[in-house]
Parts: sequence; C-alpha cells; structure tokens
Amino acid sequence: MKRRVFLKDIAIGSLLLNIHPKVYAQGTGSPDVALIQGESPSLITKEAITTLGGMQRFISKGDKVIIKPNIGWDRTPEQAACTNPEVVKTLVELCFDAGAKEVKVMDNPCNPARRTYVRSGIQKAAKSAGAEVPLPNDHHLKKIPIHGDSLKEWEIYSDFVETDKIINVPIAKTHSLSRLTLGMKNWLGAVGGNRNQLHQNLDLAMIDLAAFFKPVLTVMDGYRILLRNGPQGGRLSDVKLHKTVAAGVDYVALDAVGASFFDIKPEELRFLQIAKEKGHGEIDLEKLIIEKRTI
Amino acid sequence: MTRFPGEDYINRVEIFFHFDPLLALVTFISSRMVHIFFLPAVLTIVVTFVLGRVACGWVCPMGSIQQFFSFLFKKTKLHRPKKLEDNHTVWKYYLLVFILVSSLFTLDLVGIFDPFSFLYRSFVVSVMPALSYSVSSFIGAIYGLNLLSIGDILVQFFENLDINAIFLQGLLIGMIFVAIILFNLSRERFWCRYICPLGAFLGVISRWNVLKLKINTEKCIDCNLCSLQCQMQADPYPNEKWKSPECDYCFTCSAICPTNAISFPGKMAPESIESIDLSRRKVVLISLLGILAIPFFRISPARSRASEKLIRPPGALPEAKFLQKCVKCGECMKVCPTNALQPAMAEAGPEGLWTPMLVMEIGYCEYYCSLCTQVCPTGAIQELTIPQKNNLKIGTAWVNKDRCIPWKFGDPCIVCEEHCPVSPKAIKFITANVEQPDGSIKSAQAPVMDMATCTGCGICENKCPVVDAPAIYVTSVGETRSDRNQVLLDIIQSGEDPY
Repeated sequence: MKRRVFLKDIAIGSLLLNIHPKVYAQGTGSPDVALIQGESPSLITKEAITTLGGMQRFISKGDKVIIKPNIGWDRTPEQAACTNPEVVKTLVELCFDAGAKEVKVMDNPCNPARRTYVRSGIQKAAKSAGAEVPLPNDHHLKKIPIHGDSLKEWEIYSDFVETDKIINVPIAKTHSLSRLTLGMKNWLGAVGGNRNQLHQNLDLAMIDLAAFFKPVLTVMDGYRILLRNGPQGGRLSDVKLHKTVAAGVDYVALDAVGASFFDIKPEELRFLQIAKEKGHGEIDLEKLIIEKRTI
Repeated sequence: MTRFPGEDYINRVEIFFHFDPLLALVTFISSRMVHIFFLPAVLTIVVTFVLGRVACGWVCPMGSIQQFFSFLFKKTKLHRPKKLEDNHTVWKYYLLVFILVSSLFTLDLVGIFDPFSFLYRSFVVSVMPALSYSVSSFIGAIYGLNLLSIGDILVQFFENLDINAIFLQGLLIGMIFVAIILFNLSRERFWCRYICPLGAFLGVISRWNVLKLKINTEKCIDCNLCSLQCQMQADPYPNEKWKSPECDYCFTCSAICPTNAISFPGKMAPESIESIDLSRRKVVLISLLGILAIPFFRISPARSRASEKLIRPPGALPEAKFLQKCVKCGECMKVCPTNALQPAMAEAGPEGLWTPMLVMEIGYCEYYCSLCTQVCPTGAIQELTIPQKNNLKIGTAWVNKDRCIPWKFGDPCIVCEEHCPVSPKAIKFITANVEQPDGSIKSAQAPVMDMATCTGCGICENKCPVVDAPAIYVTSVGETRSDRNQVLLDIIQSGEDPY
C-alpha cells in the first residue's frame, strides 16, 4: 500500500466515523422515538416497534434476550407501579418472532419477588408468551466493574450481563428524589447489594448503570402513569390513563419523552441534564425525530 | 408443608392442629370460648375412645419421628436402655394436670408441650432454616464449580419450599428438639412415654376402649419378651397388668411373640382396667403448683405495659386474650413472606415465650399480605381481609434524627418514603438545613412522620440504608388492638381504603 493511499483512506474513514449515527439511521427511514397512542397496550407496543423498523432491527436470529420490566412492587397493573404486563408480553412475542432463541424477563423487586411477579401479572403474561421468568437468584450476583463516574463496581445479576441483547421496559412514575422514575432509574432493579445507599447520589448512579447496561431498545410504558405517591402509588386516583407507549434506541431521549408525559421539561431533570452533558443521548425534544401517531 | 406461591391466599394448612383435642380443650378453657373450627378434634376423641391411642402409633407425626429415631438408635446399637423398674410414664399425666389447671386460670402453656406445636415450631424455626443454610452453602459450592444449570435447578427447587431462613431462637429451639430426639437413646419413644401431654389426654379417654390385648395363657411361655420390647412401656405381660392407656397399638408384641400368644380381639363390652397409677397426693400437689405458677408467670409487666419491641402481627387479639390463645405453633412465622415474624423471648413476658412478633430488621409486614391471619389455628390472630388489615395499625414509625442521613448530614436519601406503601404516604418531607463541620449549610428533604396514616408495617425500618440501627424504626405504640398502648389522644383514621 502506498503512503498516499493509506492517508487518504484514513481521512475518508475518520470522516465517515465522525458522522452522527443518525445519518445511518435516517437511511432506514426510522425515527428516533416512536410515540404511539391507542386503546390497546399490546397494539400500541407492536405499532411502536414497527415504526422503528421492526424487532428484527434489534434482535438477530438465535439471540439470547433479557427484558427488564419494572416489577418492583406488590401492586396490580391498575395501580401503575409495575410495567403493564401486556406490553411485556407483546415484546416477548416480537422477540420470538424476530428469531430470538431465548427470552428472559426478570427484575429484582423491592417487595418479595414471588408476590410482585404474581400480582403485577407479568409472570403469567410473559410465561404465556414463552419467556422464562426467573426469580432473582442471589447466587447470580457478581461484583462487576461499572467504570462509571460515581460507581466503580457493583453487584449485578449476571443474567443481565451474560446475554446478547437487553431490552428495557420501564413504566413512567413519579419519584421523590429524581422527580421521575423512567428508563434509567429502572436499572436499579438489575443490581443487588446495598442498593438503598445508591440514593445518596441517585442521579449519577442511574446514569452510570444505564451506560453500563446499554439496552438495544427502550420501550417506555406510559399506558398508565403514576402522578402521585410514587414510585408505588396505592390509590387508583394516583393513576392517570395516558394510553401511550414510546420506543427508541437512545435511552436518554426516551426518558426525555417520558418526562413530557408529566408536562415536565427534560432540562428540569438533573439526571437528564447530566446525561446529555456526558454525551449519552439527546434530551432536546425539538432536535429529536419523534414519530407520533394515534391508532 | 405450608406453601404460598405468591398469591395472598393459602389453603387450610392449619387444619392438622384442629385434630388435636388437647389444643382445643386448653384453648377453650383458657380463653373461655368454644370454637367450631376445632370440630375435627371430636373425631380424634371418638377414635381414641373406641380404639385407644391408635392415633399416637399410626398418625402423630411427632410419634413417627420418635419411632424413627428409636429404630435408628436400636439398629445402630446406640440405644442403651437401663433397667425398667420405674413408673415414670405417669410424668406426662402430671404435666397434663399442670397444663389443665393453669389453663383454668387463663395461663396457656399447652403450646410449649403439645406435640404438634412442638414439632411444627421446631421445624419452622430451626430444622428447616438449618437445612436451608446447609443447602445454600452446598449450592454455593456448585456455582463455585461453575455447574450453573445444576445450581439453577437446585435454587428453584428450594425456592419452592418457601423456607424462612432466619430465626432469632433457632439454636435454642433446635437444641431442645435435638435433646428430645437424643432421649430416645435411653428409652424408645421417650417423648411419647414420659412427656407428651396429648398422649396423656388420649390415654385418659382411652381407658375404656374396646381393643384389648389378650394373651393366650395356654400358648404363653412366660418369656416376658413382649414387655421387654414394648416401646411404650405398656407392660403386655402379664395380661392383667397391661396398661391400655399407654398402648399405642404398634402390635410389636404380637409380632415378636415366639408362640403367637398375643392378640387384640375387639370386645363389645369394654372392661375397665385401673392402670394410670397416679397418686392422689401428687395430683393435688401438681394442681396447687399449676395455680401457684400463675402469679410467677405474671410478675412481669408484659400484661400491664407493652414492650416497645412487641409488635404483634395484624389481627392479633389484645395482649391478654392473645396470650390465652396463642399456642406458639409457628404457623404464622412459616407463612410470613418477609420472615419478619419471629418467636419472642422475653418481650411478652414468660407467658409469651415463642409467641410471634415482628422484627423489622429481619422483615416487615407486607402491605397486601394477610397470610398469617389466615393460618392461625386457634384464632389468636383473627382472619382479616386486606382492607381490614390495612385499616389497622400494628405500631408506629419514628425518625431518629441523630442517625438519619438527611437530618444528620444534609445528604439526599428518600428510601423510607419511597418504600412507604400507604397512599397518601405516611412519611413526608420537610427541608432540613444541616450545619456541616466546616460551618457551611447543606439542605436536603428530610423525612417526618404522619401518625395518622402510618400502619407500623416497618418497611421503612427494614430498608433504611443505616443498616445497623436504622434511622427510622417502629415501636408497638399506637397499635389498634390495645387501648392503653397509645400515644396521641385522637388519631384520625383514614376513611377511604386504597385497595
């Protein structure tokens, strides 16, 4: 190879690499965020994934997939403390349709896992679609380097590491410390250890965890959202029927869209502000390509 | 074994206790109440009245365990019986008299000695947790060897057994259980022979039963083998000395008789055999002791002033009534999904030994759970629906500002509020301005309690990141079941139920 050719190649190559991934994405014609409203949780979930280009864009044949819903509390779906079971079920089905070999649905809840798995309806729904729904097994906890700015290492369930693809399916709720608990906060359910201490620096902890897990897809369940007494609510009057599901690759953008469910500007949320500054994603709703539809 | 696969409903697992006529009788006497759910005990009484102590030999799980270890010790030649000259089988009758007399004066001690309570408690508090601990280390080793799928299968299997693994008095209760088993080294079925008050009770009502041992004197060669081998010391030989109240109808004697001289023909006309050899003087003495024991059991302040740590499960009767009914069986401790229910030591006074209380450092009262109220065999914990349960308080939470992270350091922490299950939350925030060591001021939202909505469930204490002595903690004051253990003059109950 001649020196000149080599330099030229490098110049072209680095130019190409410098172009924002959005350029490639635009090539496929899919938006950053699909924001679908409708009566049926499963139909709007399906529509959101289709809008993004179908599940095969994220899941390849033979993949091991783990889906991380929020099953944190011993509450029914109507109380909107846990992810809508139908949304989870639909995602499991779509993963299998895209050729996934194995789909796991798992969370490490705050209340006893057995009860939350049952009352949330997620165990039954996910199992009916063929997923494995294992209880968190403490023998799977491993201290793993996070390389974050606030978390250097933490105990993590190896189920979330020894897998090909991760899908995050949070539910949008209020929270007294981070104001909202959305996708990034959901990762506190994938770790063990003394995780209650993470709250002393919650914003940074969730940013580090989200960057560590890096889901291929985030699906924000906004079918029912919790307006008060989060993150577990209790009364049905704490719940608003919002009938929305948002999906996308940029998990920071998804949290920004989630904030808009509550009429909160993304810039008001400290963890989104920091995540943007770190370059983890976009929070400016104007800059994002959001495909909004009602079905 | 009691199972609860995640739903808030459990089968009638306590039904076995309802076949126990002694539990029924003592509960009726000490609480002055008759309960229809003890109806199955009538069956045991009728069977025993007609057929003798067959239940002891063929049904009782405690009897089976005694039998098994007696057999084991005999096979391994560890069993070293001393010469049988004693008449210690009467001990159990004296124990029965003591329990019955003291129950007349509302002291309920039957739970300590009743075989079902004894066995279930020992298994729940000690045997199963020990098993779980050893299995867990074994599984850890399996994972250590990287046999992941085998480990996963084992974990799943043991998860399905729903073993609560942590108990405060596991060692003590376990040691008593092991001691009772080791007594079989010196006497077969030691417990059944000498201690079991239920066996004594059944013995008394079996005296007129129709299944009588008969030795065919023509065949008998007076070898005395039957009496030597009798596991209950019922002295089959000579025939007229046979103690029908001791016999548990194992038929060992007829099986080993070299001449097949022994049979148990049913006789329609039962004959009375005077064979419970109690001395009247001792019965009077024991009865007096039973009465005298009561003031000694009641010296402690437990009945007049509640211990802050004595947080009873929801649905528990007022303390005095609770103590009259609780038989310390451990059913509630078994089903508690968070392992919060623990056997009390001194918190409830001497009478309340091994009665259930919640220890929030170990678990907490799950908001939508009513399992412990469903399984209590005597009604010491009343069955509650979820709305009923969530409308009552079992205690009250307090914030210790000296240890609370926002109050002490001005750093953010909302873990107690986040976990508070009631809506609106019983933990609210005010701003704390905390002076730092360098003189600067840091602000944080800091927790304060709303007494009106706090149910005392204790999840705040359980989840507090200040792990050694939580900065928010629950004490029993304010519990709905008590008139006296209250702090505020008027606590407004939240009317709307969130369920």
